[in-house]
Amino acid sequence: MSRRVCSAVSSSGSGLVAKRGAGSSGRVGWTAFFCGPAALLYTVFVVVPLVTALWYSIFSWRGTTQGPLSGLDNYATVLTAYPYQDQLLRAFGHNGVFFVGTMLVQNTVGLALALLLHRAPLGRRLFQTLYSLPYLISPLVVGYLWSMLLSPSFGPVNAVLEAVGLDALARPWLGDPGTALPVVVLVNAWQWVGGPMLIFGAALAAVPAELEESARIDGASAWKTFWTVRFPLILPTVGVVTLLTFIGTFNVFDLVFALGGSSGGPGQAMDVLGLLFYRLAFQGGVNAIGLSSALAMLMFVFVFGISLLVDRMLRRREVNP
Amino acid sequence: MAKLARWVLAAAVVAAATGCAPGGAPADGNITLNVWGWRTEDVAAYNKIFERYEKNHPGVNVEYRAFKNTEYNTILLTGLAGDAGPDLAQLRAYGELQPSIASGGLLALDGQIEALKSFPSSTLDGVRSKDDGKVYGVPFAIQTMHVIYNKKLFAAHAIAPPATWQDMTAGADTLQSAGVTPFAVTVRDDWMLPIEHEIFGAGRYGGPDFRERLLRGNAKFTDPDYVASIELYAGTTKYWQPKFSGVGYDDAKALFASGKAAMFPGGVWELAEFRRAVPDIEMGIFNVPPPPDAKVNKTLTPGFVDGSFGVSSRTPRQAQALELARWMASAEFGQAFSDELTQISAVPGTTPTDPLLKQAFEGFRANPGPYLMYGDFGYGTPSGAELLRAGLADVLLGRKSAADVASGLQRGVEQWFRPRG
Repeated sequence: MSRRVCSAVSSSGSGLVAKRGAGSSGRVGWTAFFCGPAALLYTVFVVVPLVTALWYSIFSWRGTTQGPLSGLDNYATVLTAYPYQDQLLRAFGHNGVFFVGTMLVQNTVGLALALLLHRAPLGRRLFQTLYSLPYLISPLVVGYLWSMLLSPSFGPVNAVLEAVGLDALARPWLGDPGTALPVVVLVNAWQWVGGPMLIFGAALAAVPAELEESARIDGASAWKTFWTVRFPLILPTVGVVTLLTFIGTFNVFDLVFALGGSSGGPGQAMDVLGLLFYRLAFQGGVNAIGLSSALAMLMFVFVFGISLLVDRMLRRREVNP
Repeated sequence: MAKLARWVLAAAVVAAATGCAPGGAPADGNITLNVWGWRTEDVAAYNKIFERYEKNHPGVNVEYRAFKNTEYNTILLTGLAGDAGPDLAQLRAYGELQPSIASGGLLALDGQIEALKSFPSSTLDGVRSKDDGKVYGVPFAIQTMHVIYNKKLFAAHAIAPPATWQDMTAGADTLQSAGVTPFAVTVRDDWMLPIEHEIFGAGRYGGPDFRERLLRGNAKFTDPDYVASIELYAGTTKYWQPKFSGVGYDDAKALFASGKAAMFPGGVWELAEFRRAVPDIEMGIFNVPPPPDAKVNKTLTPGFVDGSFGVSSRTPRQAQALELARWMASAEFGQAFSDELTQISAVPGTTPTDPLLKQAFEGFRANPGPYLMYGDFGYGTPSGAELLRAGLADVLLGRKSAADVASGLQRGVEQWFRPRG
C-alpha cells in the first residue's frame, strides 16, 4: 500500500514540479518528504528486527554473547535434533488443524451471522456489538477465563453437564488430547467471530441489490442466490479473511499459552509453533538466541511464502460485478 | 549489529525498570546498591532484611528491585550486559544459571568470600559454572519436596503420617472410601510432573546412589529401576482427583486448600502459599516411605539449591557489592532470610524457626534425595526436565509406556551430557 501512496504522491509531485518548471530533483525531494517517515518507521520496526533475527540465527550464542558464525547449524538443530524435530512437526500440524478448524467454525459462523444480519431491519447493530464484544478482551484473559470455566474440579461447564444428567459428557476438556485442540478452536472462534462477521457484513452490503433482485425474480432459491450471486462477489473478502486467519493461526501464542502453558498441555496436545519458539527462547539453554531465531525465521519464511501464494491464487478467482 | 541491539534492549529494559534512576553515588556521598530479583511478593521482606545491613554500613543503601518471575532471566541477561544493570542479582541455579555466566556478566567469587568454604560442596554445585568450575553466587535457599497433608482430615479419619509405603496406600484407601480425594495433583501444568516423580519415585530408582552412577556413566535412565520408578509414580493415579489430566496447578492447590483433598505432593514453598490462602489451615509434611522393591531403604527428602546472589562484573561499586555478598554468606543474613521469608536458608549454621521448615530441613540433611532434572540434567538442550515432563504426561495419559519415556529421556540428554568417566 505504501508503494501505491508513494507513486501517487510522486505523480502529483511531478505535476507541481512541471508547473514550476523544476527538474527531477524536486520530484525526488517530494517523494522523500512524504515517504521518508513511513519508510523510516517500517525500516526500524519491521526490516531491522527481521534482519536481526536472520543475523542472530547464523551464529552460536553463549547467553547474550555472540559466538562464532555457525552457518545453518541452528536450523539443522531445530529441524533434525531430537526432540525438536518431532515437536516441530507436531506443532506445525496443530497450527494447520487450528487454521482449518478456525476457517470451518469461526469464519463459517461469522459468514452465517453476517447473512442473518444482512438487511435485517431490527437489532442488527445490537447483535453486531454483542458478537464483537469478546474482541475487546485480551486473548490471555480469555484463555485464563475459559481454563477456569472448563476446570474439571471447579469449572461450571462440567458442573452443568453433571447437573442435567449428562455426566458422560463431562470430561477434562483441556487435559484430554482428543478435546484440547478442538477446545482451542472453539474458544478462539468465540472471541474472534465478530471480526469476520463485520467484514463479511460490509462485503455483503456492497453487493448490488439489483443483482439479488434479478436472481429472485428468475426464481433462484436463497441458497442458489448465495452461491451464484453473493459468494462470487464477496470472494475477495473471503480471500482477505482467509489470509488473515492463516497468518493469525500460524502465529498464535497467547491464547494457547493461557490454556495449556508453555508446553501446550498434557501430551503437548495444544503445542503450536509459537509455544515451541517460546520454549526455545526462554528455556533453550545457553544457545537459546540462536535456536529461537532460526525457528522464527523458518516461521516467517513459511507464513510469508504461503501468504503470497494464497494471495495470488485468490486474486485470479476474483469476480467483479 | 548484535552488540548495538543488545545495548538498545538493555537500555530500554533498565530505563523501564528503574524509571531512569541509576544507582551509585549521589551528591551526599551515600551509595545505593541495586539488587535485582524475581520475588515480587518478597520485596518488603527483603527490604527489611537489608535494613540490618544498612544499619551496620552507614552510607550504603540496598535496594531490592523485583521483576516478573517469567521474564526475569531475559531482563537479567540484558541488564548484566549493559552498564545500567544491577550491582548484585538473584540468580537461578544449575543449568539456568549458565547463560548468565557464559555472557560474562558475573564475577567469580572463589577466593573473594571466605565463608563460601563452609558451604557443602553439593550446595555449591548449584551455583558453579559448568565451564570453569568456579562459584558465581552465594546460595540463598534450599527447596525440599514433600507430601503436604491436612492434619484435620488425617485426624478425622484416624490416619497418621505413614512410616511405610503400605501405611500410605492404606491411608489413601481410607480417605477414598470416605469420599475424600487422597492426593490433589496437577497434570495440566506439566512442569510439576518431574517434581511429583521425585517425591514418589526417588526411593525406587535409588536416589543419590543412582545419581552418582548416572554421573559416572555407570547407569542410564533406561535401567529397570528408573523405568520402575516411573511406573510406580503412574500407579498412584488411582488416588488422584477425578479427571486429573485436566487439573491445573492452581486447581490442585485449591482442592487441597479447600479440604477436598487430603494431600498435596509439592515443594516446601507451597506451605507459605497455603497459609496465605487459608490462614487457619493445619498442615503437616511427610516424605514418601520406601516403596516395594526400593533401591534405598531410607525415606528420602528430595531437594535442590533454589538460587544465589551474584555480583555483576560490570558494577563500578564492586568492593561494596562484594561486601554485601559476604554478608549474604553470614549466619546473620541466613537466619534473617529464614525468619522473614519462611524459607530454608542455604547458609550453614542456620535453622528455620518454623516447625515444618525445620522438619523439612532436618529430613533433607539426614537423607537428601536429588532433583535430577533441575540439577544435573538441566545443563543442556534439550533439558532433562523438558523431556521428562512431556514424557510423564504421555505415561499418565496412557499414550506411552514408562520404558518408552525413559528411552526418550536417555536419547535426548545423550546429545549433550558427558559422564565424568
